[in-house]
Amino acid sequence: MKAAAGCAAALALPLLLPSRHLATFVLLTLAAAVTVGVSLLMGYAGQVSLGQASFYAIGAYAAGLLAVHGTPPLLGLLLAPVLAAAAAALIGFPLLRLRGHHLAFATLAVQLILLSLLAQASWAGGAIGLQGIPRFSIGGYSLTDDLGYAYLALLVLGIALLVSRNVVSSRAGRGLRAAATSEIAAAASGVPVGGYRLAVFALSAAFAGLAGGVYAFFLGYLAPGSFPVLLSIEYVVMAVVGGLGTIAGPVVGAVLIVVLVQVLNTLGTQPGMPDYAPSVLSYAVYALVLVVCVLYLPKGVVPSVSAALHARRR
Amino acid sequence: MRLVVDRVSRAFGGVYAVRDVSLTVEPGELRAVIGPNGAGKSTLFALIGGQLAANAGRIEVDGRPVRRLPAHRRARLGIGVVFQAARIFTGMTAAENVMVGAHATTRAGFLAGALRLPAHHRDEREIRSRALACLDRTGLADWADRPAEELPLGQQRALQLARALCARPRLLLLDEPASGLRAGERESLAALIGDLRAEGLTMLLVEHDVGFVMRLADQVTVLDLGRVIASGPPAAIRTDPAVIAAYLGTAPAGRPEGSHP
Repeated sequence: MKAAAGCAAALALPLLLPSRHLATFVLLTLAAAVTVGVSLLMGYAGQVSLGQASFYAIGAYAAGLLAVHGTPPLLGLLLAPVLAAAAAALIGFPLLRLRGHHLAFATLAVQLILLSLLAQASWAGGAIGLQGIPRFSIGGYSLTDDLGYAYLALLVLGIALLVSRNVVSSRAGRGLRAAATSEIAAAASGVPVGGYRLAVFALSAAFAGLAGGVYAFFLGYLAPGSFPVLLSIEYVVMAVVGGLGTIAGPVVGAVLIVVLVQVLNTLGTQPGMPDYAPSVLSYAVYALVLVVCVLYLPKGVVPSVSAALHARRR
Repeated sequence: MRLVVDRVSRAFGGVYAVRDVSLTVEPGELRAVIGPNGAGKSTLFALIGGQLAANAGRIEVDGRPVRRLPAHRRARLGIGVVFQAARIFTGMTAAENVMVGAHATTRAGFLAGALRLPAHHRDEREIRSRALACLDRTGLADWADRPAEELPLGQQRALQLARALCARPRLLLLDEPASGLRAGERESLAALIGDLRAEGLTMLLVEHDVGFVMRLADQVTVLDLGRVIASGPPAAIRTDPAVIAAYLGTAPAGRPEGSHP
């Protein structure tokens, strides 16, 4: 019931929104799709990725480069998550035996390396960026307006949500949830804990890669500067604020953060504000929101609100 | 399943917890491993289950070497484990806890689960029906849909046993399953272990409570200070002078109290 209502609202929203907000809607929806993966990784594999934007970038560049060289856009969009997941598997593999925050540091390092490589790579447009990416099209039908991309982004988010819900409630997902509370007992039950965590990492990268592919066709232009480390941090903040280990959490987190950043941006560009106000406000908001959330809503918005509603109903 | 442990050792920082321990458990046998506190029983248990790696020696099940295999691979070969501490999965229902136990003998992977392929549905049906049967067998049927952490301690211990049985193990390792149980629970546990033995399940039972194992076990191995000091049927062990000395503390001085047979 709740899921159906959520779907209906999401499908109606692009039609109701003023068209000048559609671009924000597309980016927000793509961010939510990436956050679904981050939330899955943090909530079920107990790992943090501080470089999730690099998989977004890999997906975007893969789709963009393929399209620029004449590959059908649909094929490029389908390959984007595959390549991002393969990159994650490669990065994650040596980390399987390590514990704690190694993955967080490694992903951060990978993103910094990727950004400087992209800035050097003339075949990918270098620091200036990759230009002339055609619009997304299937057969002869080309997606040109923002409304079309809004629905494409919603499709990607829907796939990410459906796949992560399915994984969590499957045999593998039970093994992961078990490993989150007792790794020893899970392994003794036959759960390959390290392998499953790597698989979740690759899956989260696939979501980011798919979202990145849509981003490439939507903007038609990619530059290393579009994928800063701050973007990776943003996904983590969205996941934590929304609530780990819930289906709706990443979506709620993404909406809250994007709306908040927009409001602060508007506030920062009011006449009379110093010219550094917008950037200070939007950077500071991540830190503040994260601290407040960890202090007062450690489980995130969605679990806390649903617990409060549940308590009231009793 | 036949278990062979051959001259297995494990040291922690230069001190041997288990040293040159050998024992063979024949298929269908219920072997008890007893010994005073600090004898190395739990270490031996972890070496066979794969929670710890042995420094030296050979561990085989049905002729297959497993010493270098990680715990999850040993589980797939049919080694089931019941830990001493109630290592349950919190945040999951009792039924889900037991369903995880079936992991070792089912196959559906990430892709099958994510895309709901036929393999997923086939495995889920099998896992669910097996889990319900195991809950029933351990007297937990009424608790199936309760969060595991809400179960009383005795039921949490039973839950671990149900989880291990759900994999249909061919060798079951039990680490002090009776400790902390009330008299009634202890009796039903003994009855269940007796049933499993009658069904031909090979078991290795590590136990501190000598009375509990003497009436259940076919063979008893006694450890002291990491070494095997006696091995044989319960009646012979009861009268073995080395065992009596180890338990009464006439051998090395300074043994902790409270471990009399």
